[in-house]
Amino acid sequence: MAKSVETLEKSIKDVPKAKKPESKKNWFSWGLLAPVLFFFILMSVVPTIWMFGLAFYDYTLTSANKPKLIGFKNFVDFLANQQLAGSVSRTFIFLLCAVVLQTLLGILIGVLFWKNDKMPGRRFALTLFFTPMVVTPIATSLFWKFILDPTLGVINYFVSVLGFERFDTLTDQTLAFPTLVFVDTWMWTPFMTLMTLAALGSVPKAELEAAQVDRLPIIRLIRTVIWPHAKFILGLGILLRTIDAFKTMDLAYVMTGGGPGDRTELIAVSLYRFAFKSFKLGYSSAVSVFLMFIAIALTSIYLYILNAKKKSEA
Amino acid sequence: MSEETKMKLDRRRLIKAGAAAGVAIPAAGLLAACSSGGDAEGGAAPSADSPLYGSNAENMQGKTLDFAYSRVAGWPPSSAPATLWPDFQAYAKEKYGYTVNDITFIEGGFGELFQKISPTLASGSQDYNLLIVDSQWLGALSEPGWIVKADDVFAANPELDIEPFSSLVTNTYQVYPDGSGIRWGFPQMPDTQGVFMRKDMLEDPAEQAAFKAKTGKDLPTTAEAMYEIEFTDLVEIIEFFHRPDKEMYGTAMMYSKEYDFFSCAYYPFAYSTGGKIWDPVTLDVYGILNSDVNAAAMDQFVGLMKYQPKDAASFGIGNLLDLFNGGKCFSAWQWLAVGKFMGGPDAVVKPDMVLSIPLPKWNGKLIGAMGGQPWVINSYNDEDHMRVAVDVLKWWYTKETQDKFILENGGLPWSKEGAANPAYLEVAHYVKPFLYMLEEGRSQDFWHLPEYAEMLAVQQEAFNGVATGTVKTSKEALEYAAAKQQQILFNAGRTKTAPPENVDSLTL
Repeated sequence: MAKSVETLEKSIKDVPKAKKPESKKNWFSWGLLAPVLFFFILMSVVPTIWMFGLAFYDYTLTSANKPKLIGFKNFVDFLANQQLAGSVSRTFIFLLCAVVLQTLLGILIGVLFWKNDKMPGRRFALTLFFTPMVVTPIATSLFWKFILDPTLGVINYFVSVLGFERFDTLTDQTLAFPTLVFVDTWMWTPFMTLMTLAALGSVPKAELEAAQVDRLPIIRLIRTVIWPHAKFILGLGILLRTIDAFKTMDLAYVMTGGGPGDRTELIAVSLYRFAFKSFKLGYSSAVSVFLMFIAIALTSIYLYILNAKKKSEA
Repeated sequence: MSEETKMKLDRRRLIKAGAAAGVAIPAAGLLAACSSGGDAEGGAAPSADSPLYGSNAENMQGKTLDFAYSRVAGWPPSSAPATLWPDFQAYAKEKYGYTVNDITFIEGGFGELFQKISPTLASGSQDYNLLIVDSQWLGALSEPGWIVKADDVFAANPELDIEPFSSLVTNTYQVYPDGSGIRWGFPQMPDTQGVFMRKDMLEDPAEQAAFKAKTGKDLPTTAEAMYEIEFTDLVEIIEFFHRPDKEMYGTAMMYSKEYDFFSCAYYPFAYSTGGKIWDPVTLDVYGILNSDVNAAAMDQFVGLMKYQPKDAASFGIGNLLDLFNGGKCFSAWQWLAVGKFMGGPDAVVKPDMVLSIPLPKWNGKLIGAMGGQPWVINSYNDEDHMRVAVDVLKWWYTKETQDKFILENGGLPWSKEGAANPAYLEVAHYVKPFLYMLEEGRSQDFWHLPEYAEMLAVQQEAFNGVATGTVKTSKEALEYAAAKQQQILFNAGRTKTAPPENVDSLTL
C-alpha cells in the first residue's frame, strides 16, 4: 500500500514537472516568433487598419486641408463611378483571358515535357522556358515595350524589312488589350507549366503503370488516374494566377499607362492613379478596401479547395 | 447550425467588426492629428540670431553634419548640386569652418518625387533639407507650412534676392498665391519650350532646291532666320521633311498622359491663339477652358500627329530624345533645357547637326508654357541644417558655381546678369531661344494650387483621349476637364461658382 502511495505521489510530482518544460518551450516558441509577429503587425496589420480608417476620410495629400471624416461617401462615390466599374470589369476580362490561356498552354507544354527525362537538352530548355517567370515584371514590360515600339522596335524593323507597313499595338485601341494579355501569358505560362509538371508528378507511378498494363484509353487515363491526383495542385496554380492577375499593375502601367484612353486601365492602375497621381488618399483607400475584399474572396475559394482536399484525404 | 451557434457567430463577427472599426477610426483620427496644418502666411522677418541668415565665422565652427536634397531623376541640371558638392564642402570649411559630409539625395520623376517628399514633410521630417521641386507644387508645399518663405531668407540675405531676367521667373518659381508677391521658391533650373531641328538637313543644298521647287520658298537654314517663323510656315517645312517610307518623320511632340506632357505641349497652341485655361483671379475653369478657341487649338495640335510615328499618343520627353537622336525625326518640340542631350557624340545625330529655335508664332502671337524647377527649403530643418541650407543657396548663386552649372552642367541662366553674360549665351545653341521664350509675356506657367495634381490627372486623361481617339472630339475632352476641375476647385473652397449640374454623370 505504502509503495503504491509512494508511486502515486511520484506520479503526481511528475505531472507538473512534465508541464514545466512545455511552458518553457512555449515561451521559446513565442520568442522565436516575436520578431516575425512584430514586423507582421508593424508592416501589414497597422497599415491595413490605417487604410480602413482612411477610407472614411476625405484626404488629399497635396491639399493643405486636414483629413475630414465623411463616413461612407468614398465608397458611395466609388460604386457610382462608371469608369471604375469599367476598370473592374476590364480586370475580370483580363484575368479570365490570361488565366485560361496560361492554363491551357501550361498544361500543353507541361505534358510535352512530362516523362521526357531522356530528351536531350531538357533541363536547359526548362531553365530557358522558366526565365520569363523570374524576370521582374517591370523589366519584362519595358523590354516588350521596346520590342513592340513601332519606330525603334525590333519586330517592326523586321516587318519593314519584309516590306510590310509598321504597326503599333500599344496605342491601338483594338490591339492594346490583347497585347497585354499576350505579354502576361508569355510571362506566366511557365508558372502553369511548372504547376502542371508538379501535378503530373503527384500521380503515383504504380497507378500509371497499372493503367499502362490495362491499356487504359487516354481520356479514361486522364479522368480516372491523373485528374484525381493532379486537380488539387493544378487548381492551386489556377487560383494563385487568378489572384495575381487580379492585382496586375506593373505590366499595364509601364507598357500602356492604362491607355489608349482607358482601354487597358485595370483596377490596380486606376488605384495607382487615384493614390499617386491625384493623391486622393481617402478615396484610393476605399478602392483598396474593395480590392482587398475581392482578394479575400479569391483566397477563401483557395482555402475552401484546400480544405476539400484535406477532407477527401481524410 | 443551431440558432444559438448562429447568434454566437454573429455576435462574434459583430464584436470583431466593431473592434476593427474601433481601431480603424481612431487610426484615421491619429492620421488627421498628425497631418500638419501650418500657417501659409509664413513667419515674420527673422531676428538677428535666426538661422535664416546662414552661418557665420563662429556659429558652425568645428561642426560636422550630413545634408540631403531631393531632385528630379535623370535630369542632369537637377543632379548638378551633387556633382558640384565637393566645391561646397571646401566652401563651407574655408568660409565657416564646418564639415559637411557627402550629400545624399532622393530622386524620382515629377509625379513620383512628390509622392516621396510629401509624406516626409507631412510628418515634420528634415530628411531632405533642401528640395528641388516642380513649380506647380508651390501651393501644396507652402500652404501646410512645409517650406520656408523665401521672402524671409531674402530679408536676411539681400544678396540672394537676385534680379530676374523677367517677371516670368518670379511668377513661375517663386510666388504663391499667384499675384500675391509672396515668394517661396529660389530659381534652380529655369526652362522654356522650343523646336529642335536637323541643321544638316536644312543646310543640304539638294533639300533646299527640292523645297524651293515644291513650295517656291527658300528653306531657312539658320536658327535666326526662324525666330519669327509662323506656325503654318513651320508646318510646311515639317511636311516637306516627313518621309515615313524612309523612316524619317516630320516632327515629334508630346501627347502622353504622363504627368503634364500633353498639357504643356498643347498650351502654346491655346495661349497663342487667344485661349485661356482658367481665370487666375476667380479661380474658375468652367466656361473658360472649354472654349471653342481651345478646341480648335487642340484640333490643330492633335492634327500634327500625322507627321509623327504611329505611337505619338504615348510620347514624352524621353521618346522625343530617342527619336531625334536616333535620326528618326526631322524636328522635335521639346523643352529647351534638354538641349544638351538633343544630339550626342555617340548618337546618330551629332551635336553639330542640331539647331534650336523658339516656338513658332500664330499670326504674330506667341505664348509658350513654362517648365523648370525652383529650390525650396524644408521648414522642419533644425538650426544647423537651416543655416547650411541657406549657405548652399549662397554658394549656388556665386558666379563661380553658376559658371560651372551653366558652362559645364547644362544649366541655363535666369538672372538679368546671367542673361547678359556672353559666355553663357555662346555655350550652346539653345540658350538664345531659351532666353527669347523667357522674355516678358512670351511664356506663362499654370496653376500652383494644392489641387494641381487632381486637376492635372483629370485633364491629362481627357486630353490624351483625343490623341488616342478614345475621346471623339477636343470639345468633349475640354468640357469634361473643365467641369471636373471646376468641381475640384469648388469642393476645395477655392471658387464660389459651382460646377455644372451634370458634372457627376460626365464620363470619357
